[in-house]
Amino acid sequence: MAASSASKRLFKEYRGLSSDPPEGITAGPVTEDDMFVWEALIQGPEGTPFEGGIFPAELKFPKDYPLAPPTMRFTCEIWHPNVYPNGVVCISILHPPGDDPHHYEQASERWSPIQSVEKILISVMSMLAEPNDESPANVDAARMWRERRKDYERIVRDNVRKGLGL
Amino acid sequence: MSEQTLNIPQILVFLVITFLLIRWLFSKPSGSSTRLPAGQSRGFRVNPAHVDQLSQMFPQLSRRDIMWDLQRNGGNVATTTERVLSGRALEVPPPSFQPPNLRPSNPTSRTATPPLRPAHTDLITRYNLASKINTPFEASSSEPNVPKKAWSQDKDERQKLLQRRREEMILAARRKLEEKDRVKSTETS
Repeated sequence: MAASSASKRLFKEYRGLSSDPPEGITAGPVTEDDMFVWEALIQGPEGTPFEGGIFPAELKFPKDYPLAPPTMRFTCEIWHPNVYPNGVVCISILHPPGDDPHHYEQASERWSPIQSVEKILISVMSMLAEPNDESPANVDAARMWRERRKDYERIVRDNVRKGLGL
Repeated sequence: MSEQTLNIPQILVFLVITFLLIRWLFSKPSGSSTRLPAGQSRGFRVNPAHVDQLSQMFPQLSRRDIMWDLQRNGGNVATTTERVLSGRALEVPPPSFQPPNLRPSNPTSRTATPPLRPAHTDLITRYNLASKINTPFEASSSEPNVPKKAWSQDKDERQKLLQRRREEMILAARRKLEEKDRVKSTETS
Protein backbone atom coordinates (compact mmCIF):
# COMPACT_ATOMS: atom_id res chain seq x y z
CA MET A 1 0.00 0.00 0.00
CA ALA A 2 2.74 2.41 1.01
CA ALA A 3 4.78 1.39 -2.00
CA SER A 4 1.94 2.06 -4.44
CA SER A 5 1.23 5.52 -3.05
CA ALA A 6 4.96 6.22 -3.15
CA SER A 7 5.24 5.28 -6.80
CA LYS A 8 2.14 7.32 -7.58
CA ARG A 9 3.71 10.35 -5.97
CA LEU A 10 7.00 9.70 -7.81
CA PHE A 11 5.17 9.41 -11.09
CA LYS A 12 3.49 12.75 -10.46
CA GLU A 13 6.84 14.36 -9.71
CA TYR A 14 8.32 12.79 -12.84
CA ARG A 15 5.53 14.28 -14.94
CA GLY A 16 6.06 17.69 -13.36
CA LEU A 17 9.79 17.59 -13.91
CA SER A 18 9.35 16.56 -17.54
CA SER A 19 6.68 19.04 -18.55
CA ASP A 20 8.25 21.95 -16.71
CA PRO A 21 11.91 21.13 -16.10
CA PRO A 22 13.95 23.52 -13.98
CA GLU A 23 16.91 25.09 -15.76
CA GLY A 24 19.87 22.74 -16.02
CA ILE A 25 18.15 19.67 -14.60
CA THR A 26 16.99 16.47 -16.26
CA ALA A 27 15.64 13.74 -14.04
CA GLY A 28 13.49 10.65 -14.25
CA PRO A 29 13.33 6.97 -13.42
CA VAL A 30 15.96 4.76 -15.02
CA THR A 31 13.04 2.65 -16.18
CA GLU A 32 9.38 3.19 -15.36
CA ASP A 33 9.13 -0.43 -14.21
CA ASP A 34 10.90 0.67 -11.06
CA MET A 35 9.93 4.15 -9.98
CA PHE A 36 12.26 3.96 -6.96
CA VAL A 37 15.53 4.41 -8.83
CA TRP A 38 16.10 7.63 -10.74
CA GLU A 39 18.90 9.14 -12.66
CA ALA A 40 19.43 12.87 -12.65
CA LEU A 41 21.72 15.09 -14.66
CA ILE A 42 22.69 18.36 -13.06
CA GLN A 43 24.37 21.19 -14.88
CA GLY A 44 27.24 22.89 -13.10
CA PRO A 45 26.10 26.34 -11.96
CA GLU A 46 27.47 29.25 -13.96
CA GLY A 47 30.14 31.44 -12.46
CA THR A 48 31.56 28.50 -10.50
CA PRO A 49 34.35 26.05 -11.39
CA PHE A 50 31.58 23.51 -12.03
CA GLU A 51 30.30 25.66 -14.93
CA GLY A 52 29.90 23.79 -18.19
CA GLY A 53 29.88 20.37 -16.54
CA ILE A 54 27.12 17.78 -16.47
CA PHE A 55 27.01 15.72 -13.31
CA PRO A 56 25.07 12.46 -13.28
CA ALA A 57 23.62 11.18 -10.03
CA GLU A 58 21.51 8.29 -8.87
CA LEU A 59 18.54 8.80 -6.56
CA LYS A 60 17.15 5.89 -4.59
CA PHE A 61 13.77 6.29 -2.96
CA PRO A 62 12.54 4.38 0.08
CA LYS A 63 9.26 2.49 -0.13
CA ASP A 64 7.70 4.95 2.30
CA TYR A 65 8.60 8.01 0.21
CA PRO A 66 7.75 10.88 0.75
CA LEU A 67 7.79 10.20 4.48
CA ALA A 68 11.48 9.36 4.27
CA PRO A 69 13.90 11.11 1.93
CA PRO A 70 15.76 9.47 -0.95
CA THR A 71 19.51 9.01 -1.00
CA MET A 72 21.54 10.64 -3.71
CA ARG A 73 24.88 9.56 -5.08
CA PHE A 74 26.90 11.15 -7.83
CA THR A 75 28.04 8.59 -10.38
CA CYS A 76 30.94 10.69 -11.61
CA GLU A 77 34.15 12.07 -10.22
CA ILE A 78 33.18 14.91 -7.97
CA TRP A 79 35.43 16.90 -5.67
CA HIS A 80 33.30 18.78 -3.21
CA PRO A 81 33.29 19.31 0.57
CA ASN A 82 29.74 17.98 0.96
CA VAL A 83 30.06 14.88 -1.21
CA TYR A 84 31.62 11.74 0.22
CA PRO A 85 34.46 10.22 -1.79
CA ASN A 86 32.05 7.46 -2.84
CA GLY A 87 29.69 10.06 -4.36
CA VAL A 88 27.01 10.16 -1.66
CA VAL A 89 25.61 13.65 -1.22
CA CYS A 90 25.36 15.03 2.31
CA ILE A 91 22.99 18.01 2.57
CA SER A 92 20.33 18.89 5.07
CA ILE A 93 17.35 18.41 2.73
CA LEU A 94 18.26 14.72 2.45
CA HIS A 95 18.19 14.24 6.24
CA PRO A 96 14.93 13.36 7.98
CA PRO A 97 13.89 15.91 10.62
CA GLY A 98 14.28 13.55 13.56
CA ASP A 99 17.72 12.44 12.54
CA ASP A 100 20.31 15.14 12.94
CA PRO A 101 23.64 13.60 13.84
CA HIS A 102 25.38 16.96 13.87
CA HIS A 103 22.78 19.09 15.65
CA TYR A 104 23.35 22.15 13.56
CA GLU A 105 20.63 21.96 10.93
CA GLN A 106 17.35 23.82 11.16
CA ALA A 107 14.36 21.49 11.14
CA SER A 108 12.92 23.52 8.27
CA GLU A 109 15.93 22.80 6.07
CA ARG A 110 15.61 19.07 6.46
CA TRP A 111 13.46 16.54 4.68
CA SER A 112 9.70 16.59 5.03
CA PRO A 113 6.96 15.30 2.72
CA ILE A 114 6.36 18.79 1.38
CA GLN A 115 9.83 18.76 -0.18
CA SER A 116 10.31 17.20 -3.60
CA VAL A 117 12.84 15.78 -6.04
CA GLU A 118 12.91 19.14 -7.76
CA LYS A 119 13.78 20.92 -4.51
CA ILE A 120 16.49 18.38 -3.76
CA LEU A 121 18.11 18.84 -7.15
CA ILE A 122 17.93 22.61 -6.93
CA SER A 123 19.49 22.47 -3.45
CA VAL A 124 22.25 20.24 -4.74
CA MET A 125 22.88 22.68 -7.55
CA SER A 126 23.29 25.54 -5.13
CA MET A 127 25.39 23.32 -2.89
CA LEU A 128 27.81 22.94 -5.81
CA ALA A 129 28.06 26.70 -5.99
CA GLU A 130 28.31 27.25 -2.25
CA PRO A 131 29.78 24.41 -0.21
CA ASN A 132 28.72 24.18 3.42
CA ASP A 133 31.87 24.19 5.45
CA GLU A 134 30.23 23.14 8.68
CA SER A 135 29.89 19.42 8.09
CA PRO A 136 32.36 18.28 5.48
CA ALA A 137 31.70 14.84 4.01
CA ASN A 138 35.00 14.97 2.17
CA VAL A 139 37.46 16.41 4.67
CA ASP A 140 40.31 16.71 2.17
CA ALA A 141 38.17 18.57 -0.33
CA ALA A 142 36.89 20.83 2.44
CA ARG A 143 40.41 21.67 3.58
CA MET A 144 41.52 22.35 0.05
CA TRP A 145 38.47 24.53 -0.58
CA ARG A 146 39.33 26.55 2.52
CA GLU A 147 43.09 26.77 2.18
CA ARG A 148 44.03 26.26 -1.46
CA ARG A 149 41.07 27.47 -3.48
CA LYS A 150 43.08 27.55 -6.73
CA ASP A 151 43.96 23.85 -6.48
CA TYR A 152 40.39 22.99 -5.57
CA GLU A 153 39.07 24.82 -8.62
CA ARG A 154 41.60 23.14 -10.88
CA ILE A 155 40.51 19.66 -9.78
CA VAL A 156 36.86 20.58 -10.27
CA ARG A 157 37.53 21.93 -13.79
CA ASP A 158 39.51 18.81 -14.67
CA ASN A 159 36.58 16.66 -13.57
CA VAL A 160 34.21 18.74 -15.70
CA ARG A 161 36.30 17.95 -18.78
CA LYS A 162 36.80 14.30 -17.84
CA GLY A 163 33.06 13.86 -17.39
CA LEU A 164 32.41 15.06 -20.92
CA GLY A 165 35.14 12.87 -22.38
CA LEU A 166 37.60 15.68 -23.13
CA MET B 1 59.29 22.20 49.59
CA SER B 2 58.07 18.99 51.18
CA GLU B 3 54.48 19.87 50.33
CA GLN B 4 55.37 20.12 46.66
CA THR B 5 57.04 16.72 46.48
CA LEU B 6 53.93 15.25 48.05
CA ASN B 7 51.69 16.87 45.46
CA ILE B 8 53.36 15.55 42.33
CA PRO B 9 52.31 11.90 42.77
CA GLN B 10 48.82 13.08 43.57
CA ILE B 11 48.69 15.08 40.36
CA LEU B 12 49.95 12.09 38.42
CA VAL B 13 47.31 9.82 39.93
CA PHE B 14 44.66 12.40 39.13
CA LEU B 15 45.83 12.64 35.52
CA VAL B 16 45.86 8.87 35.07
CA ILE B 17 42.38 8.56 36.50
CA THR B 18 41.05 11.35 34.28
CA PHE B 19 42.61 9.73 31.24
CA LEU B 20 41.09 6.35 32.06
CA LEU B 21 37.71 7.94 32.72
CA ILE B 22 37.72 9.73 29.36
CA ARG B 23 38.76 6.56 27.59
CA TRP B 24 36.04 4.61 29.31
CA LEU B 25 33.42 7.21 28.38
CA PHE B 26 34.44 7.20 24.72
CA SER B 27 34.66 3.45 24.35
CA LYS B 28 31.33 2.88 26.06
CA PRO B 29 28.98 3.27 23.07
CA SER B 30 30.84 0.74 20.93
CA GLY B 31 31.15 -1.74 23.74
CA SER B 32 27.47 -1.90 24.46
CA SER B 33 26.26 -1.39 20.91
CA THR B 34 25.17 -5.01 20.56
CA ARG B 35 22.08 -4.23 22.54
CA LEU B 36 21.35 -0.88 20.96
CA PRO B 37 18.68 -0.59 18.27
CA ALA B 38 19.71 0.54 14.81
CA GLY B 39 19.22 4.24 15.27
CA GLN B 40 21.29 4.58 18.43
CA SER B 41 24.51 2.89 17.43
CA ARG B 42 25.31 5.72 15.05
CA GLY B 43 28.28 7.00 17.00
CA PHE B 44 30.44 3.98 16.23
CA ARG B 45 32.27 3.99 12.95
CA VAL B 46 33.24 0.72 11.33
CA ASN B 47 36.86 0.57 10.31
CA PRO B 48 36.90 0.18 6.50
CA ALA B 49 40.06 -1.93 6.72
CA HIS B 50 38.15 -4.51 8.76
CA VAL B 51 35.37 -4.56 6.19
CA ASP B 52 37.96 -5.06 3.42
CA GLN B 53 39.54 -7.87 5.36
CA LEU B 54 36.23 -9.66 5.94
CA SER B 55 34.95 -9.22 2.42
CA GLN B 56 38.16 -10.72 1.11
CA MET B 57 37.78 -13.69 3.40
CA PHE B 58 34.12 -14.11 2.48
CA PRO B 59 33.56 -12.66 -0.98
CA GLN B 60 29.99 -14.00 -0.99
CA LEU B 61 28.95 -11.54 1.73
CA SER B 62 27.76 -8.05 0.96
CA ARG B 63 29.79 -5.23 2.46
CA ARG B 64 26.65 -3.74 3.89
CA ASP B 65 25.89 -6.91 5.86
CA ILE B 66 29.47 -7.04 7.10
CA MET B 67 29.33 -3.43 8.23
CA TRP B 68 26.06 -4.01 9.98
CA ASP B 69 27.46 -7.00 11.87
CA LEU B 70 30.64 -5.12 12.80
CA GLN B 71 28.60 -2.14 13.86
CA ARG B 72 26.52 -4.34 16.14
CA ASN B 73 29.38 -6.22 17.75
CA GLY B 74 31.51 -3.14 18.28
CA GLY B 75 33.92 -3.69 15.40
CA ASN B 76 35.05 -7.14 16.49
CA VAL B 77 36.38 -8.90 13.37
CA ALA B 78 36.89 -12.19 15.20
CA THR B 79 33.26 -12.34 16.31
CA THR B 80 32.00 -11.75 12.79
CA THR B 81 34.41 -14.34 11.36
CA GLU B 82 33.30 -16.83 14.00
CA ARG B 83 29.69 -16.19 13.17
CA VAL B 84 30.15 -16.75 9.44
CA LEU B 85 32.32 -19.84 9.93
CA SER B 86 29.83 -21.40 12.31
CA GLY B 87 27.29 -21.27 9.50
CA ARG B 88 25.04 -18.63 10.98
CA ALA B 89 24.06 -16.15 8.32
CA LEU B 90 24.64 -12.47 8.98
CA GLU B 91 21.58 -10.45 9.76
CA VAL B 92 20.14 -8.35 7.00
CA PRO B 93 20.58 -4.70 8.01
CA PRO B 94 17.44 -2.56 8.18
CA PRO B 95 16.92 -0.24 5.23
CA SER B 96 17.64 2.74 7.47
CA PHE B 97 21.22 1.55 7.92
CA GLN B 98 23.27 3.76 5.61
CA PRO B 99 27.01 3.44 6.27
CA PRO B 100 28.63 6.59 4.91
CA ASN B 101 31.75 4.78 3.83
CA LEU B 102 30.05 1.99 1.94
CA ARG B 103 31.80 1.41 -1.32
CA PRO B 104 31.22 -1.26 -3.90
CA SER B 105 33.25 -4.38 -3.32
CA ASN B 106 36.00 -4.44 -5.84
CA PRO B 107 38.20 -7.51 -5.84
CA THR B 108 40.84 -5.86 -8.01
CA SER B 109 41.09 -2.80 -5.79
CA ARG B 110 44.04 -4.32 -3.91
CA THR B 111 46.31 -3.88 -6.89
CA ALA B 112 45.33 -0.27 -7.54
CA THR B 113 47.15 2.22 -5.36
CA PRO B 114 44.23 4.24 -4.01
CA PRO B 115 41.34 1.78 -3.75
CA LEU B 116 39.05 4.53 -2.47
CA ARG B 117 37.13 5.78 -5.46
CA PRO B 118 35.61 3.61 -8.14
CA ALA B 119 36.63 4.62 -11.65
CA HIS B 120 33.87 6.39 -13.53
CA THR B 121 33.32 6.33 -17.22
CA ASP B 122 32.63 9.65 -18.86
CA LEU B 123 29.14 10.50 -20.06
CA ILE B 124 29.98 10.15 -23.74
CA THR B 125 30.98 6.52 -23.24
CA ARG B 126 28.18 5.80 -20.83
CA TYR B 127 25.47 7.02 -23.19
CA ASN B 128 27.13 5.82 -26.37
CA LEU B 129 27.34 9.28 -27.77
CA ALA B 130 30.69 8.97 -29.54
CA SER B 131 28.99 8.77 -32.94
CA LYS B 132 26.92 11.88 -32.26
CA ILE B 133 29.74 14.12 -31.05
CA ASN B 134 30.91 15.21 -34.45
CA THR B 135 27.54 15.98 -35.94
CA PRO B 136 27.57 19.74 -36.32
CA PHE B 137 25.04 21.64 -34.32
CA GLU B 138 23.02 22.74 -37.39
CA ALA B 139 22.44 19.17 -38.50
CA SER B 140 21.03 18.06 -35.20
CA SER B 141 18.88 21.13 -34.75
CA SER B 142 17.30 20.66 -38.18
CA GLU B 143 16.02 17.31 -37.01
CA PRO B 144 12.60 17.36 -35.48
CA ASN B 145 13.59 19.44 -32.54
CA VAL B 146 13.29 17.88 -29.13
CA PRO B 147 10.90 20.06 -27.25
CA LYS B 148 12.29 21.10 -23.91
CA LYS B 149 8.98 20.39 -22.31
CA ALA B 150 8.21 16.78 -23.07
CA TRP B 151 5.55 14.49 -21.76
CA SER B 152 3.73 11.73 -23.53
CA GLN B 153 0.86 9.48 -22.54
CA ASP B 154 2.77 6.51 -23.90
CA LYS B 155 5.24 4.86 -21.56
CA ASP B 156 7.85 3.92 -24.17
CA GLU B 157 7.67 7.29 -25.82
CA ARG B 158 8.15 9.00 -22.46
CA GLN B 159 11.24 6.89 -21.89
CA LYS B 160 12.61 7.89 -25.29
CA LEU B 161 11.89 11.55 -24.72
CA LEU B 162 13.74 11.45 -21.42
CA GLN B 163 16.64 9.68 -23.08
CA ARG B 164 16.74 12.32 -25.81
CA ARG B 165 16.70 15.13 -23.28
CA ARG B 166 19.61 13.56 -21.43
CA GLU B 167 21.62 13.11 -24.61
CA GLU B 168 20.88 16.63 -25.78
CA MET B 169 21.98 18.06 -22.45
CA ILE B 170 25.28 16.18 -22.54
CA LEU B 171 26.01 16.92 -26.18
CA ALA B 172 25.18 20.60 -25.77
CA ALA B 173 27.58 20.85 -22.83
CA ARG B 174 30.28 19.05 -24.75
CA ARG B 175 29.87 21.32 -27.80
CA LYS B 176 30.03 24.40 -25.62
CA LEU B 177 33.23 23.23 -23.97
CA GLU B 178 34.81 22.37 -27.33
CA GLU B 179 33.81 25.78 -28.66
CA LYS B 180 35.47 27.41 -25.66
CA ASP B 181 38.64 25.42 -26.28
CA ARG B 182 38.67 26.52 -29.90
CA VAL B 183 38.32 30.18 -28.94
CA LYS B 184 41.10 29.80 -26.42
CA SER B 185 43.49 28.15 -28.86
CA THR B 186 42.91 30.81 -31.53
CA GLU B 187 43.52 33.51 -28.96
CA THR B 188 46.84 32.04 -27.92
CA SER B 189 48.09 31.24 -31.43
